Amino acid sequence: MPMSSFVNIAIAEPSAIIRSGFEAVLKRLPGLRVQLFEIATVELLQETLRLHKPDMLIVNPSLLGCYTLPLLKEETGCTEMKCIALLYTVTDPILLRLYDDQINIYDSPDEIRNKLERLHTPPAEEIENEEQQTLSAREKEIVVCVVKGMTNREIADRLFLSTHTVVTHRRNIARKLQIHSASGLTVYAIVNKLVELNDIKL
Amino acid sequence: MSDLICENYPMVLVMSRFGIALGFGEKNIGEVCRQNGIDPCTFLTVVNFLTEEVSAPMTNIDKCLSIEALITYLHNAHSYFLDFRLPHIRRKLTEAISGCPKDVAFIITKFFDEYAAEVHKHMAYEEKTVFPYVRGLLKGIKDPKYNITIFQKHHDQIEMKIIELKNILIKYYPGPGSNLLNSVLFDIFATEQDLASHNHVEDYLFVPAILALEQTLQ
Repeated sequence: MPMSSFVNIAIAEPSAIIRSGFEAVLKRLPGLRVQLFEIATVELLQETLRLHKPDMLIVNPSLLGCYTLPLLKEETGCTEMKCIALLYTVTDPILLRLYDDQINIYDSPDEIRNKLERLHTPPAEEIENEEQQTLSAREKEIVVCVVKGMTNREIADRLFLSTHTVVTHRRNIARKLQIHSASGLTVYAIVNKLVELNDIKL
Repeated sequence: MSDLICENYPMVLVMSRFGIALGFGEKNIGEVCRQNGIDPCTFLTVVNFLTEEVSAPMTNIDKCLSIEALITYLHNAHSYFLDFRLPHIRRKLTEAISGCPKDVAFIITKFFDEYAAEVHKHMAYEEKTVFPYVRGLLKGIKDPKYNITIFQKHHDQIEMKIIELKNILIKYYPGPGSNLLNSVLFDIFATEQDLASHNHVEDYLFVPAILALEQTLQ
């Protein structure tokens, strides 16, 4: 399920009816977990983007006024953000060439889902290990080291790895277990008998 | 007032954080507020904010909103979490996991205590730094070294770690299941949501109100 990951979407659209309707449609899309930020005016646009750094911006082109997308992305530091035009009517394609895609208000929920999925590419490693959520033997070793209070450097030396590899392993561990803190990993390690209480620095 | 509570029961917490007790009879919201010396506008603003699932900072905050009353509300919410909710969960949790191996019980309790300490720190910052600053603003004094944007930038989600605890219990709890443990889980789910909506009030209602107040003083 590549889409089960979290997506931050900002919707910039003056009409409250369209905004709320869009939110309702998004909520019903299966496998898509969205945090939505509503933006009603061009004044709030910059501020919201800067503050929340959404993954995608769905925007009514008429709301942008004199703003161009590249300028907006640069000023708000959202260079990676995907932009989708929200259209009510037929629009000159020239005006839309800077957008990554477009959603028409008559699109079906399935069409909207396909468009969002296409633009939302999770990092490559996530796709590879899709169904594998249990830790590998190597990852368990690393959990034990982390829990014992070792730094990435120390772990790398002990297991003859590069620190870069250790960091990658740690990221995978956090993603598989949904545990991000060292103290959470400690609980995981004790509960799963990877370490004894005496082994760890408390 | 009873219609409000029955339709949306988390509002009972809002009511009590405003200092309204149960047993108000058939009175409507305005009457109950007046009787308890509470500003009805602020009460309604918070209630509406929470029931409407606002997903952007409020822009047209009603002028009648009393920031003083809002601070009291947030403060009461803090003491609810710190003095009642978290200790209550801790007691129940310790009892519920008393049957599992000693080291597991120890480490889970320790994790919970660390979490509680984090929430303490988060809320203490608001109590010691943010609220005094805002009370100053209300008196017309602007601390030149602080502004609400600083708070806005550093205000992080505090429900992340309790989500970890929940995940650990659900996926890895080694002991036998029990009604009490399920009940703790329900409490954790509810607290997670309650904390998230508390933060939501701070980010999308309190902060914009203070921003507006700062502007009037400049």
